[in-house]
Amino acid sequence: MLASVTSVTLLGVDGQLVTVEVHVSGGLPAYTVVGLPDTAVRESRERVRAALMSSELTWPLQRITVNLAPGGLRKTGSGLELAVALGLLAAESQLPDGCLDGVGVIGELGLDGSVRSIPGVLSLVDALSRRGVHSVIVPIENAAEAALVGGVRVYPARCLGELRACLKGEEPWPDVPTPLRPPADETEDAEPLDLADVRGLHQARSALETAAAGGHHLLMVGPPGAGKTMLARRIRTILAPLEPDEALDVTRIHSAAGYPPSGGLARSRPFRAPHHSASVPALVGGGSRRPHPGEVTLSHRGCLFLDELGEWSPRALEALRQPLEDGVVRISRQPVSITFPAAFLLVACSNPCPCGLGPPRCRCNETMRNRYRQRLSGPLLDRFDLRVSVQPPEPADGPGADSVDVQTRVLAAVARQSHRLRGTPWRRNAEIPAGALARLLPLGPNATDVWRSTAERRELTGRGAARIRRAARTLADLDDSPVIEPHHVLRAAELRGEVL
Amino acid sequence: MKAPKPDHAAPRPEAHVAAATLVCLPHMTPARLRTLLDRYRGPVGALRAVRHGWFVPHNARGEPRPDLGAEWRRTAMGLSMGPLLDRRGTRVLLDGEADYPIADDIEYRPPVLLAEGAGSGAFDRPRVAIVGTRAATPHGLADASELGAFLAQRGVTVVSGLAIGIDAAAHHGALHAGGLAVGVVATGLDVVYPRRHHALFDRVRSRGLIVSESGFGVTPTPARFPVRNRIIAALADVVVVVEATLKGGARITAERALEYDRPVLAVPGSRRNPSAEGANALLADGAHPLLEPEDVLLALGLTPGVRRGWAGRHVDDRAAPTGLAARVFRAFGGEPATVDQLVTRTASNLDDVAVALDELDRHGWASRDRGLWWPGDPP
Repeated sequence: MLASVTSVTLLGVDGQLVTVEVHVSGGLPAYTVVGLPDTAVRESRERVRAALMSSELTWPLQRITVNLAPGGLRKTGSGLELAVALGLLAAESQLPDGCLDGVGVIGELGLDGSVRSIPGVLSLVDALSRRGVHSVIVPIENAAEAALVGGVRVYPARCLGELRACLKGEEPWPDVPTPLRPPADETEDAEPLDLADVRGLHQARSALETAAAGGHHLLMVGPPGAGKTMLARRIRTILAPLEPDEALDVTRIHSAAGYPPSGGLARSRPFRAPHHSASVPALVGGGSRRPHPGEVTLSHRGCLFLDELGEWSPRALEALRQPLEDGVVRISRQPVSITFPAAFLLVACSNPCPCGLGPPRCRCNETMRNRYRQRLSGPLLDRFDLRVSVQPPEPADGPGADSVDVQTRVLAAVARQSHRLRGTPWRRNAEIPAGALARLLPLGPNATDVWRSTAERRELTGRGAARIRRAARTLADLDDSPVIEPHHVLRAAELRGEVL
Repeated sequence: MKAPKPDHAAPRPEAHVAAATLVCLPHMTPARLRTLLDRYRGPVGALRAVRHGWFVPHNARGEPRPDLGAEWRRTAMGLSMGPLLDRRGTRVLLDGEADYPIADDIEYRPPVLLAEGAGSGAFDRPRVAIVGTRAATPHGLADASELGAFLAQRGVTVVSGLAIGIDAAAHHGALHAGGLAVGVVATGLDVVYPRRHHALFDRVRSRGLIVSESGFGVTPTPARFPVRNRIIAALADVVVVVEATLKGGARITAERALEYDRPVLAVPGSRRNPSAEGANALLADGAHPLLEPEDVLLALGLTPGVRRGWAGRHVDDRAAPTGLAARVFRAFGGEPATVDQLVTRTASNLDDVAVALDELDRHGWASRDRGLWWPGDPP
């Protein structure tokens, strides 16, 4: 009369194991769910009942108690329904004994008994596999995604009736469907983007290339129409493709957020461009009860593009500082605290002042400019390694290098960085902490003096000088230069101007 | 605040206390004060009229305001201005007295001025007003400050409005060179506006004078600034406009100066610089161009005869740029430029231009401001 089924629920973007216990006993017919279920889980009663009846299975007219353990954890979503239904069948001895031992069960039920897909299957199956559960029953639509986790046997489920037959050995299990590869890269817009579309803007292009290669946060300041946004949107055409472990991370996050990449594993780096009206929870994650990943997490291992930085609410921008520093977001909600990964490349654009024209055409006085500048706090501005001012191209400017050329250079620079940083936890120059700079980013003989005198003359803090050093290393990597030369330092200093 | 020693050992004349009391009445305007002083032949009579409720002020449309007259009467009865003036060390400058700084060639009755500060001799010297826009460029700020210093070194008092931008640069230049400065403010003398100029206000107080026609406690309102500008024009022997927008306060100062028959000089600027449009328009209207600081002395009648060039440029000890640095400096064409523009104009690349700009920056040939590079003085 008692059965227990292993399932898993989402906590942030990670899976958390849940044991579903179903107890059927005599008494007045009743159905009770205990163990902090949320509304979606509570509603499961009607779906489980209808699904069982549609599948020509019996709904016991007895006292049914469903317990979701651990009791202190809030269970979210509808992914536990299939486990409840199978637990009910097992408790009623409608399934062979022990057929669910060591098997994780995930899935939502339709009223007709079909098994529906749910978000975050990759994270859920990954969590099961980490806890020693190496067989999973998942909705057939999620089977390909579940199969991305190595060493796990995936049993796809189409509908409850068929699933019961399979478990009893009356029917063979259906095959795991191979995902249809989308014909073209799904991240591309209708019109393919290319850096060759952008005329002039030598310095901003160089900054974009440096940002893509070394992972340096980039701020572009300039009048409307200068080409900032156009340039920034083309960064995804030059970013290096995802490493295998990064791809798994990205797929996990996007699947948990409900946007699984079509075609299985994510291949290109995410590029997120939220509008400046976004709220703080939308940007960094959160929300009451069930913390949801924000834009910073969705752009993990990719690029977060914030246009019109001066229009963002100061609170949202300040909230960015912690993930920029730590690479993760910690959301605390009673009773749990959740950590979302948030290692992203920040690319931002802003007008220079309220009139937008910037020098030399600007008509704003110092007070107006100060007020505008104060919306972007010093600590936030300080986190940009690259800050360039962008002016509209001159008539004489022709198109620059195209994305393929630039990406080739970026890939070579990335390869040089991985070679240099092998055996360290860091992948890009921008991630190297100040303490390791002297060891990992030595300056050439002449470059040391130039670096020191630049820092002195521009009254840079130690942090500012370190940022210039990292960018100088990336410029040297792009130049295929084994040592940092003086001109790399000067270029890096030039790319980190006081733009506001 | 430490009370400065009163200027006059003798007791304060009754007319001064009466005038200051009138100035400090609520909603006192220059027009109302003028009417009062004209009708009752001076401040003592005017104050008596107010205290007896004989005078009914009018509003801008000419309608009587008996309520305001009653308020003035109450206020004037309660105010004891003499001790306040003594405590603050405030001087009252009245038209017709020996130390009144505005010459009597102005058509209307000049305002009652309150002045505070240690530089009581500031009005005994020739006076030049340096005015301009608050949205000044680095070039304009440098011009104002150098001009202020040049004039200060020649014993000329620099008059300006203590505002952001050109005003502040002119005051700083004059004070830094050890000269005297007069700041004419549109607020009460006990109000610091803009607030960030607190230190500048203190320096002007210690080395010159702060002057106002408003009563204590009057806060800044937009309408008061153009009115204030007529005092700057009247106080100056010569008005210099460094950078001015087409509709800025500096143009108003220049117009008043022309009305009062003061010479107006303007520093010409680039057609591409919106902060110079007003100064260029003045030149087109017939103002004298200020090409070198000596031009001001010429206008003052202190003709030294020879033109010597801008202050601080007598000895150019900068190492002359060579090679690409020289080409980059020429590529500025005297105007601010982006790195991109310099790269295009010199047909060079980002690396070389970064190195060249660093050389120019180190030797004072160019500087970075707000995302642009600005060329320094030509050799």
